[in-house]
Amino acid sequence: MTSITLGQYFPGNSLLHRLDPRFKIVLAVLYITASFLCKSIWSFAALALSAVVLILISRIPPSFVLRGLRPILFIMLFTVVLNVFLTRGETLLIDFWIIHIYLEGVLTALSMVLRITVIIIGTGMFLTYTTTPIALTDGIERLFSPLKVFHLPVHEFAMMMTIALRFIPILIEETEKIMAAQKARGADFSTGSLMQRAKALIPILVPLFVSAFRRADELAVAMECRCYRGGEGRTRMTVLHATAADWVMLAAMILFGAVLLLINRFAPGFAL
Amino acid sequence: MNTLQLEHISYLYSAGTPYEMRALDDVSLTIRGGTVTGLIGHTGSGKSTLVQLLNGLNRPTAGRVLIDGEDIWEKPKEIARLRYRVGLVMQYPEYQLFEETVRADIAYGPKNMGLSTEEIEARVLEAAEFAGISRDMLDQSPFDLSGGQKRRAAIAGIMAMRPEVLVLDEPAAGLDPQGREEILGGIRAYREKSGSTVIIVSHSMEDMARYCDELIVMANAKLLMQGSCEEIFSHPEELAAVGLDVPQITRVAELLRQRGLPLPESIYTVEQAAAALRQLMGGVGR
Amino acid sequence: MEPFIQVEQLNYAYDEDGGQRRRVLRDLSFSVERGEYVAILGHNGSGKSTLAKLLNLILTPDSGKIIIAGREITDPNLTEDELYEVRRRMGMVFQNPDNQLVATIVEEDVAFGPENLGVPSEEIRRRVDEALALVGMTKYAHHEPHRLSGGQKQRVAIAGIIAMLPDCIIFDESTAMLDPMGRRDVLRIMDNLNRERGITVLTITHYMNEAARADRVLVLNDGELYMQGTPAEIFSHPDRLAAIGLDVPQCTDLVHQLRDAGIAVEGDCLTPAQCADAICAACAASGITFAPPRT
Repeated sequence: MTSITLGQYFPGNSLLHRLDPRFKIVLAVLYITASFLCKSIWSFAALALSAVVLILISRIPPSFVLRGLRPILFIMLFTVVLNVFLTRGETLLIDFWIIHIYLEGVLTALSMVLRITVIIIGTGMFLTYTTTPIALTDGIERLFSPLKVFHLPVHEFAMMMTIALRFIPILIEETEKIMAAQKARGADFSTGSLMQRAKALIPILVPLFVSAFRRADELAVAMECRCYRGGEGRTRMTVLHATAADWVMLAAMILFGAVLLLINRFAPGFAL
Repeated sequence: MNTLQLEHISYLYSAGTPYEMRALDDVSLTIRGGTVTGLIGHTGSGKSTLVQLLNGLNRPTAGRVLIDGEDIWEKPKEIARLRYRVGLVMQYPEYQLFEETVRADIAYGPKNMGLSTEEIEARVLEAAEFAGISRDMLDQSPFDLSGGQKRRAAIAGIMAMRPEVLVLDEPAAGLDPQGREEILGGIRAYREKSGSTVIIVSHSMEDMARYCDELIVMANAKLLMQGSCEEIFSHPEELAAVGLDVPQITRVAELLRQRGLPLPESIYTVEQAAAALRQLMGGVGR
Repeated sequence: MEPFIQVEQLNYAYDEDGGQRRRVLRDLSFSVERGEYVAILGHNGSGKSTLAKLLNLILTPDSGKIIIAGREITDPNLTEDELYEVRRRMGMVFQNPDNQLVATIVEEDVAFGPENLGVPSEEIRRRVDEALALVGMTKYAHHEPHRLSGGQKQRVAIAGIIAMLPDCIIFDESTAMLDPMGRRDVLRIMDNLNRERGITVLTITHYMNEAARADRVLVLNDGELYMQGTPAEIFSHPDRLAAIGLDVPQCTDLVHQLRDAGIAVEGDCLTPAQCADAICAACAASGITFAPPRT
């Protein structure tokens, strides 16, 4: 039995969990945009504060959220090093041998890190942490359904996502089974040269592909048997209704953007 | 010879995560060498985990697996060698075929063992015969065979390693009566020729009754019962309670006993039932 | 009244590698009444699954006619709407439960069929709840199919078909991958659908005990109708079944063995109860009496 959590969905019933997925997608986009509006140290402070507020509203343990940042730690570190050592400015902080560090460099590095962190946390709070992959797919399909006019395959894309989400755990399990079966026949995946190891994968990949195609074939027939004929004329069981909370959040987000712009204008602080 | 022992085996999946699950809980049992042992249990009873412990695919969280008194995990680096001694045919083994010809696929295991070309060829032919794979099938692509033939080719792939212990997880699942017969007959032939120990996992109580000397019943990660078919199938209520069954013929015998027919309690094949009834009613027929 | 399904002179062949045609069904004719429970037996490769796919037009026959509820579905002028109507009427449940569930949430999956049919939302909700209740899966409505047992997944698959309100459900070896408990659940649901809701059931199976529950059995061999009749009639010919790789339920086998030994046991004997009755009757007829067991 394998246990895979796709994405980082954290089950809960907070305000953020309950928002309409369509609104959440819009909110996430707006939030990212807002993070790029920050031009002064005070607006950055406001942005950081907003991230904290979002985590509090979501009722997700902060440690869980911070753990989600781990994969991008390296990128952040790289950004910091690049900015700190390579940015030229006016206020020289350290001047040692070939190392010249300017205040501007440090500030740029800080703002970059903060921005990346907030973008990750923000999109996480609206999307990955509080929305199941299926709800997200659903949100994408319904939000972008007007684009069908331009012959964009919105429904097909959403259906592909759904099926992928459904079959990823199955195929992972299947890979494990095939690996076990070949190990039982003496397969060795962990020793030998790179070439040998690549060759050792054939006994896994061939059956896996054969099985994936067989499954795809059977699924296609099963879908046809259930009268699937694409998005045309299809209804849905659940109808998404925007609630007052959705509109309030949207208004709050727009207000937040406006506040950031005002801060830039009237409290420039260290302008960046 | 080829005796397997489990000593206080426990096995946890995803230990230390929120998904932790105890698949086996303090299981101790002995499988005597040279016997055909059936392993039955509901889905999730731990039997598939158990078979993967026997050939070292899973390492027990606690407890020891012994083959002829030797702990298989004594030298973890040599666990691959153990897998040649304890051959495991997993569920739906036809889904692991990958070579261009049936011959090459059967040879995959022996090749990994590092045997000589002649030896490999000899073993392929021998295994193909046990599994009922004809000569001309050997040069076909495994993907062109019928379902039952694919299954037999996959089983031959394990038999070609000449394991002393042959473990099969649901070898006959989904096949028609003749297909089941061919597979189970082939396994019996392999055992008779090689004297190896055979362990079969199956949901079919009828097949178990016909082919096994001894049965192990697993339920909820624990060993529920172990004994001869006679002993196990005389506990229909316990079996039903864990989602299992007795052969249909055993139920007939039970009904007849309830109505006063003096039938022995050890009936689990049609032949036994017919013999017992002939004895009772023998003189009366036409 | 005309039969619900009428199949006349059906032929189907598919192309094999090398340009050869392999004939899967040959001049197959049979009919099924509305509300009947029919089992289809035959060895692997006898054409059973192909037949199932022809009955809801996943495949089209090379020649021959299929008439369902009075409409010839093999009519080349069949409209697309009529085609989907055929698929709605003739629900199908397959062998591998994993490969027929589409959605990642149980109730979403059950809704898939009605959604495709363009049923209004509230109506879908009602049907989904009812279908899940019928298969006893209500409390798993919000589970991921991936975490269910094989039997549970298969029950969800059945619910997905029931929600389309079919007239007939074809079970294509739907119990083959299940453990005894899962099989028992699925069989009980099949009986229920047939007896309580009047749904016509066609079940393709390798298990003789399952065929014994049907009203009628069709036996296919190499794409031809080899035998048809009530289970009792079919299983009274063990030799003919053995000739094409099939067998009979253990109960029936026992009675045949006794008859071969010259012991006159009368009756059909498809289930343990029938078998025990028949043997007791045979004993009584020949004057053998037994005291009830002491308890």
